Amino acid sequence: MIVQDFLASASALMTENRDRLIDMDSVVGDGDLGLTMSDGFKAAYESIKESDEQDVGKLFYTAGKAMSVAVPSTMGTLMASGLMQVGKTFKGRTEVQTTEYAALFQAYFDGVSARGKAKVGEKTFLDGLFPAISAMQEAIEAGMSAAQVAQAASDAAQKGFEATQGMIAVHGRAATRGEASRQLLDPGAAVAALLMKAFAQSVS
Amino acid sequence: MKKILNKPENYVNEMLEGLYIAHPDLITYTNNDVRCLVTANKKEGKVGIATGGGSGHLPLFLGYVGKGMLDGCSVGDVFQSPSAEQMHAVTKYIDSGAGVLYIYGNYNGDIFNFDMAAEMADFEDGIRVESVVGADDVASAGPTDLGQKSTRRGVAGIVFVYKCAGAAADAMLSLDEVKRVAEKAAHNVRTMGVALTPCIVPRVGKPGFSLGEDEMEIGMGIHGETGIRRGKLESADQITVEMLDQIVSDLPFTTGDEVAVLVNGLGATPVDEQYIVVRKINEQLGKLGISVHRFYVGEYATSLEMAGLSISVMKLDAELKTYLDAPAQTPFFVQL
Repeated sequence: MIVQDFLASASALMTENRDRLIDMDSVVGDGDLGLTMSDGFKAAYESIKESDEQDVGKLFYTAGKAMSVAVPSTMGTLMASGLMQVGKTFKGRTEVQTTEYAALFQAYFDGVSARGKAKVGEKTFLDGLFPAISAMQEAIEAGMSAAQVAQAASDAAQKGFEATQGMIAVHGRAATRGEASRQLLDPGAAVAALLMKAFAQSVS
Repeated sequence: MKKILNKPENYVNEMLEGLYIAHPDLITYTNNDVRCLVTANKKEGKVGIATGGGSGHLPLFLGYVGKGMLDGCSVGDVFQSPSAEQMHAVTKYIDSGAGVLYIYGNYNGDIFNFDMAAEMADFEDGIRVESVVGADDVASAGPTDLGQKSTRRGVAGIVFVYKCAGAAADAMLSLDEVKRVAEKAAHNVRTMGVALTPCIVPRVGKPGFSLGEDEMEIGMGIHGETGIRRGKLESADQITVEMLDQIVSDLPFTTGDEVAVLVNGLGATPVDEQYIVVRKINEQLGKLGISVHRFYVGEYATSLEMAGLSISVMKLDAELKTYLDAPAQTPFFVQL
């Protein structure tokens, strides 16, 4: 994988889906998710697009830090934490093999869950990312190609996002709705689906 | 919106520029960023104390940086967290080898960014950072068991935590000891507020909610978060008794306790009215056999032009009393 390609795709997809994310977030939150995600991933990408750094870990860390500066909102900081954790885990590495894709996004998952103190099943970003990591792991074990592994992850993330309808929100403003939150789709999980779609685009 | 400003987007930076002009003997900034505010009198070997948070609450948060209290503050947009990078820059400046303590209010955006800043300081510079969170608003959530994370919001009571921890650091205590004092102060302070009118975020230009001409909301948060009950405006004595009852029964404060009391205007309430409340607080606490060691009255943690006030009560022991009474000098807090 090439870090620049991944973040370029993520930046483009978040910008494309900006209004959709704003609408989804306006139902439950304060409506700024579309802005923070498009601004945040744009800042992350721009911080490394001209870089000749070979260290994959440093690239992710730099991108995460740029994102945290650009959008210090709750979700912005969570995404920055994911990128920075990947950076710490892959520090000193100049290449990432297909067999390590699951570990890379597991690091992202760990960074986000450690910061936000959320668990799978609580109707968050993690409910989109978690099934994607499992699908990646299975595809890797089945000996699939990089493009197939990434596509499997993208499909699983989209399903995970759709499955947030039915979950009770535990975090953020949506949590104040209790039972009534079940019918809603989680905007954070939508971001996870977009992120995995970006990954699939960047390795295909 | 009726405010004295230039462009709403320059609100925070122009406020900061004014502060640096008025108080050059006490505060300056680092990292070429006016939002990374630090003390102008760094004391070598002392534990550094940093805070941070959104603007719109002056004197909170930055107003307590100076001698005998805090060493640095990262400043966000109105009601928005500053970035972890800004917090990290402040941390690097105020550390002199003894480590840094973060004291801030219990809000997700702030928590995520301060946690990230602490990791940056550790990962990039090897600076040891500890954190204490202010969660004193009894109206915002129920109490939590010891060891559990509080879900209560942090409001004006954090000033007591700043004061005690700041004095402990000034006495050259270690990071662990300063943290212990800060935690003790935080555990012993309770706050409750009442709002009469909403506030207007400059870049938004209109109030986020409305309150009727004859209405008040007991327990409203300092960003307009929903309180405990909304009702017809009552007399100063009635309001004071209702708020104080909730505070006293929460800790609980009991006969023989010695306390410090902070009466805090939210931005548009005359100090006259605050003293009317002081009179009733003293009478009520006297009836309960609780003695007041010290009153603080004025604006300590505001919410732009919101009308209303909050009452904070901290239970004292000999140690907290010593640190509370120690001298301090900041742009907004002077105690001889």
